[in-house]
Amino acid sequence: MKNVCAGIWILLIICLVCGCSSSGQPVRDETAYQERPQDNENQIVVGFSQVGSESDWRNANSESFRSVFTEENGYYLVFEDAQQKQENQLKAVRDFILQEVDYIVLDPIVETGWDSVLVEAKDAGIPVIIVDRQVKVEDDDLYTCWVGSDFRREGRLAGKWLEKYLESQGRGKDRIRMVTLQGTPGSSPQIGRTKGFASVMKRHKNWEMLEYQSGDFTQAKGQEVMEHFLKTYDGIDVVVSENDNMTFGAVEAIEEAGLTCGPDGDMIVLSFDAVRAALQAMEAGKINADFECNPLLGSMVSDIIHRLERKETVDKIQYVDEQYFDSDMDLSAIMDGRAY
Amino acid sequence: MSKIKKITGQPLFLPIFCMLLVMAVNIFYDLGSGRFAFNFFTVSIRNGVLYGRLIDILNRGSEIAILAIGMTLVVSASAGTDISVGSVMSLTASLCCMLLAGYGVASTNTLAVPLIVGVLAGILLACVCGAFNGFLVAYLNVQPMVATLILFSAARAIGLLLCNNLIVYVRNDAFKFFGGYLGFIPTPIVIAAICIAVVSLVLKRTALGMYIQSVGINKDASRIAGLNSEKIIFLCYIVCGLMAGIAGIVASSRISSADSNNIGLNYELDAILAVALGGNSLGGGKFNLAGSIIGAYTIQAITTTLFALGVSSDQAPVYKAIIVIIIVAIQAPPFNAWVKRLSAKKALAKGGA
Amino acid sequence: MKNKKISSNTILLFITIALFVVMYAAGCIVYSAKGFSHLQTFLNILINNAGLLCVACGMTCVMLTGGIDISVGSLIAMDCMLLSVGMERWHMNAIALCVLVLVIGIVFGLVQGFCIGYLEIQPFIVTMAGMFFGRGMTAVICTDQVSISSNKLFVALANMKIPLPFGAYTSRRGIVQVPYIRISVVIALVVLVVIFLMLRYTKFGRNLYAVGGNETSATMMGLNVKKTKLKAYVLSSFLCSIGGICYCLNTMSGSVQQAKGLEMNAISSAVIGGTLLTGGVGNVIGSFFGVLINGTISTLVKTNGKLLSSWSNIAVAALLCFFIVLQSIFAKIKNSKN
Repeated sequence: MKNVCAGIWILLIICLVCGCSSSGQPVRDETAYQERPQDNENQIVVGFSQVGSESDWRNANSESFRSVFTEENGYYLVFEDAQQKQENQLKAVRDFILQEVDYIVLDPIVETGWDSVLVEAKDAGIPVIIVDRQVKVEDDDLYTCWVGSDFRREGRLAGKWLEKYLESQGRGKDRIRMVTLQGTPGSSPQIGRTKGFASVMKRHKNWEMLEYQSGDFTQAKGQEVMEHFLKTYDGIDVVVSENDNMTFGAVEAIEEAGLTCGPDGDMIVLSFDAVRAALQAMEAGKINADFECNPLLGSMVSDIIHRLERKETVDKIQYVDEQYFDSDMDLSAIMDGRAY
Repeated sequence: MSKIKKITGQPLFLPIFCMLLVMAVNIFYDLGSGRFAFNFFTVSIRNGVLYGRLIDILNRGSEIAILAIGMTLVVSASAGTDISVGSVMSLTASLCCMLLAGYGVASTNTLAVPLIVGVLAGILLACVCGAFNGFLVAYLNVQPMVATLILFSAARAIGLLLCNNLIVYVRNDAFKFFGGYLGFIPTPIVIAAICIAVVSLVLKRTALGMYIQSVGINKDASRIAGLNSEKIIFLCYIVCGLMAGIAGIVASSRISSADSNNIGLNYELDAILAVALGGNSLGGGKFNLAGSIIGAYTIQAITTTLFALGVSSDQAPVYKAIIVIIIVAIQAPPFNAWVKRLSAKKALAKGGA
Repeated sequence: MKNKKISSNTILLFITIALFVVMYAAGCIVYSAKGFSHLQTFLNILINNAGLLCVACGMTCVMLTGGIDISVGSLIAMDCMLLSVGMERWHMNAIALCVLVLVIGIVFGLVQGFCIGYLEIQPFIVTMAGMFFGRGMTAVICTDQVSISSNKLFVALANMKIPLPFGAYTSRRGIVQVPYIRISVVIALVVLVVIFLMLRYTKFGRNLYAVGGNETSATMMGLNVKKTKLKAYVLSSFLCSIGGICYCLNTMSGSVQQAKGLEMNAISSAVIGGTLLTGGVGNVIGSFFGVLINGTISTLVKTNGKLLSSWSNIAVAALLCFFIVLQSIFAKIKNSKN
């Protein structure tokens, strides 16, 4: 019997030690936290709930926030990666409220389901700034403003570019066969870009969209779907790919099939996002045009926060400046001037 | 009647039957859409490499086939499944790309260390993961699913840490080789073939295959018969880890990057499914490696066919689920007993008439 | 001797509870400046994990019979999608929809339970098929993200705060923060208590333990093993549907990607709570603390703010490893005694 008692005590001690060590993992970074001057009233604490790290664009976006919201600039950034799960973001926002951050910046994974946490934030008196993707809520007063890209405009821009390009090639009246690699179904970029492009497509009877298929914004899936397109349809003229990662996969699939793409190739490739690697691919003559989706939202959000601090009003919806690139431009010069 | 029974009684009947069924669907589809009936099977050489839907299936199915080898052994020896293989794939890819690119570098065209170091380190890490699982299962008697649940959730996360939460690109032709082409054949097919050949040779030439089965059928009896059951189970898990590592390298070379979030996602399920489709009991014991491999390619064939039929990739799992349930229900002993009773009744009725 | 009654299982449960208390206390001390010590932190863990708690209760019951149910995550996604599409597109009554969701859960469980209990197919394979089916059906119902905004009753339920009479504090902004819970927490806690009582005091509850403990002897004792298994899976899917409603009350939307990987959280919560996958041993109270530990770890990592969130996965995995090793040591001791 004594053995059992002793055993229980030993186990208790082990469990205590383990408990400490396992909760010690988060504590390890404690030094960084201690240095945070808690009473420094000038420092603005910003809680940022990011979607994840699924693409190059997303990483550039996170980096933009990390580089702007530094302690030198008078900020303390609490960065939270939601690993692509909405419930993680809900948790993160609730945590920010408890931590009494000064501002919450939210990049929502999905557009919906934010009412209750936004009400909680409002009750706690914390302004919320939505970035990148949009939210649909009953009462627009629940968030201060939204900053991001106009995905519909990007889609329209792509359509108009193609219009002009075909015209200049003398194919304006030809039958044009197209396929689309869609993003994750239901995400704002997918909806916006598809609809924007479709609005231009409506004007052209000779443009034929053969199939829409989702490539989930990933390279591997994009390649697989493109392989399927190439085997199902002959003579595809245009490939619309709703982000760069899928484009990389698609270009690979096209080359494996013994076809060529780009300005001098068999197919016209349109892509979105315009990350550096995509511009490089464009320089190599594999992509015709890329429509920028500007990830550098950090400085814009910082401006907004400064204005809010001065009690100024800000516009409810703010679009970030965006342009497009095509293979006729001086790409190496453009790339030198870009941060991502 | 007895002939049919003989055919259906074959161990490879079920997987091959499924494969044929999938292909038949393709033929009908091609006919229906007014194309050449054997459009699906045409293999040609384009741009100096093999090209066609069949090649696609063989190529894309390589990872699942490689995983299925390891999974078959694990299922047979320990009567449980290794659900960590997908995560281990991702971890392998992350370590390999991290070493090749250097820590914290997001994109590189030149290799920081020789290619072989990165690849071997990745595969070695995968073996260590396998050994960890094996240790828990074999020596601590932990249920395989729970034991591998640890790495299922941890391995992907560790991979993310290794890559500093970035997608690491290694845009280098040498690294591209594993997912590219060897002559005119896609390299993944060659790698899968080598893995299959080596493992089946080892199993054939040595008594290891027998040992694994006997451990799976009855662990304690095997120990009494003089087998080191623990060691054999441990070994199976290491092989499973090794296979996951190889599959991880192939998958990451295909996209020339380490995308920790997406590499090997849900592959564990496909691999387990392949084993079940191959006519292997998930309860351990007798196994049939050939069946598992055919099962793996069948799964890929189903995926490719669903693509060809224009089923959205989100909705495809419904069909997969129905196929799985039908297949395993046919295999279930109570169902077989019921069918036997039914046929016996028929025979009785015949005799009566 | 009183000590004789302390079995290894009780010790495991005790360790789980102690670990939670230690972890939470450590968090309170280290992160007190970041608001960790407010009562609301604990309540937030409950609010965020109400759905998971229901699912973990069901999972525990299934695991007691020696089975497993990995279809729960997809089933939740399907429930959420059905609720959102039903309310927004088909304009159905919220209560009718909730009943429909619960009925679908029962049917889902019946099919799975039949395959497992009567056709004797491995639970892993059957529920894996269920997982594929649920996820796919979600996409068949709708591939968009649908949010619930027009149904007055459901929105009111979701936004209802139930304030607690104690633990209020004033924030830095001078706003009085009253701690509150949401309706989903109440549902989850009721489920927890009911299942706890059921396992302890009803015949069905004891049958679950008997079937998981030793199937052959359970059969010999005259128990209908097949029926008990069937009931266990029906119960799991039913609780999962309740969890789905709680989950939907939290997210207020349906999308194909929802609740991915939730099944693994539920399983790890149950295992941390001392439930054995081999069956026969376990308790929903343990699973409750398992869920709390899971929630506390992720809150700790989030509160730190500078750590990558992968750390919370790694910490949970490390804990899981610790508990698994502990369980196997206990099992060895037990065996050597016998």
